[in-house]
Amino acid sequence: MSFQEQLPIVLGSLNSGFLQTLRLFAITLLGAIPLGLVIAFGSMSRLKPLAAITRVVVWVVRGTPLMIQLLIIYYFPGLMLKTNWWGSGESGRFLAAAIAFIFNYACYFSEIYRGGIQSVPVGQQEAGLVLGMTRPQIFFRVTLLQVIKRIVPPMSNEVITLVKDTSLARIIALQEIIWAGQSFLKGSQGISGQIWPLFFTALYYLIFTGVLTVLLGRLERRLDYFR
Amino acid sequence: MKKIMTLILALCLLGSLVACGGKAAAPASDSDLQYVKGNGKLVIGITDFEPMDYQDETGAWIGFDADLAVQFAESLGVEPEFIEIEWDNKLMELDNKSIDCIWNGMTLLPEVEESTSCSRPYMRNAQVVILAADKADDYEKVEDMAGLTFAVEAGSAGEEAAKELGFSVTSVSSQANALLEVSAGTSDAAVIDLLMAYAMVGEGTGYANLTYTFSLNEEQYGVAFRKGSDLADALNDFFKEKYADGTMDALAEEYGLAGSVIEQ
Repeated sequence: MSFQEQLPIVLGSLNSGFLQTLRLFAITLLGAIPLGLVIAFGSMSRLKPLAAITRVVVWVVRGTPLMIQLLIIYYFPGLMLKTNWWGSGESGRFLAAAIAFIFNYACYFSEIYRGGIQSVPVGQQEAGLVLGMTRPQIFFRVTLLQVIKRIVPPMSNEVITLVKDTSLARIIALQEIIWAGQSFLKGSQGISGQIWPLFFTALYYLIFTGVLTVLLGRLERRLDYFR
Repeated sequence: MKKIMTLILALCLLGSLVACGGKAAAPASDSDLQYVKGNGKLVIGITDFEPMDYQDETGAWIGFDADLAVQFAESLGVEPEFIEIEWDNKLMELDNKSIDCIWNGMTLLPEVEESTSCSRPYMRNAQVVILAADKADDYEKVEDMAGLTFAVEAGSAGEEAAKELGFSVTSVSSQANALLEVSAGTSDAAVIDLLMAYAMVGEGTGYANLTYTFSLNEEQYGVAFRKGSDLADALNDFFKEKYADGTMDALAEEYGLAGSVIEQ
């Protein structure tokens, strides 16, 4: 089979793999951005036991490889609890991967949020209290905008990392783009022993992170309102 | 605000605990056969592996193993469902019940037979040494290869054979990656299945610059089920029937494997 004949087949396969990558990326951000805030408040809670538990959870999640977390989340129910509630198909694997990614990234995000919130001088809160504002009012009207501005650069960093981390999901046989590219090494759809599709996947990542970099850069400039 | 968030978080934690506790394990049925029939489908764990399990133009799974697996599922009165797995995790997938069998040109190794219930061997295979075509003439005996570095698939029969002979071995994630290593020159040689070498190495394939030389050892393919599963016996009966009526030989002929089927 010539290269011209291979190209449409390979691109079709890589495209559907990349779609899976994008779905995992999008659902992780949608889930982890709000969940991260919940965890951040948990770790800053004045209830000491709650704060301690949350910090231990964050430590465990950040302190173990995401790959192991994927394996545990997908295989633990079937192996230990004797009930595989994910099912064997692609949708169950995707759900397990999505939960692992959301929880993992929420923990990273929570630390970024905490840093952002605590970097706003306490004096501003005290001033708000003196003026008779309630705590929610102070958070939403005074603190939040400054926090968002401050956390955009570190969040952008995590978002770019997330794009590439999605490839870890192949450990539980989620058929994302690396899986699709690698399938042509051993043979798929009549093409075997082809190395270039695997390397070609890098281009997808590069273009997508390029787009994200531009968008996030724009967001950062838009938030430049306190200068 | 923080109090509300605290409350939400506490509820989340509580919810996850309840979710864990509430999902009580279903009573494990003694018969795997009944379990599969109850599900109405046989979930077959495979990798994309020509000529055993691979996709045709329409995306349907075909191949020597796939065709037989479909017939076996029919004989049980259930639907076949093919699931691509990560080969390293095959035993976990089986125990996890995300697949019901491993049916993918699997070499019967002691460690597999120990932790699963396997069918009788149904096909012969060998491990062959892959070399760059222009260097192959320099290596005619095992002794000539002492100084070479070998790429092998982690956990494969090829890895075992190469280690037994005392070769210096690099383990990679698949047989295809082992070929890639030799092609790129990062390893001198690889050890892979003969059936795979037929399909992938030599003129007219993706690896025209490589060639396969002699075989290291004989081995046999089998199908693995969960430990203690009664499906293994059911499959043995099925194999007997399909060998007797010539179906297995006809399939072997169709997929270029003539002469490798083992008498049942």
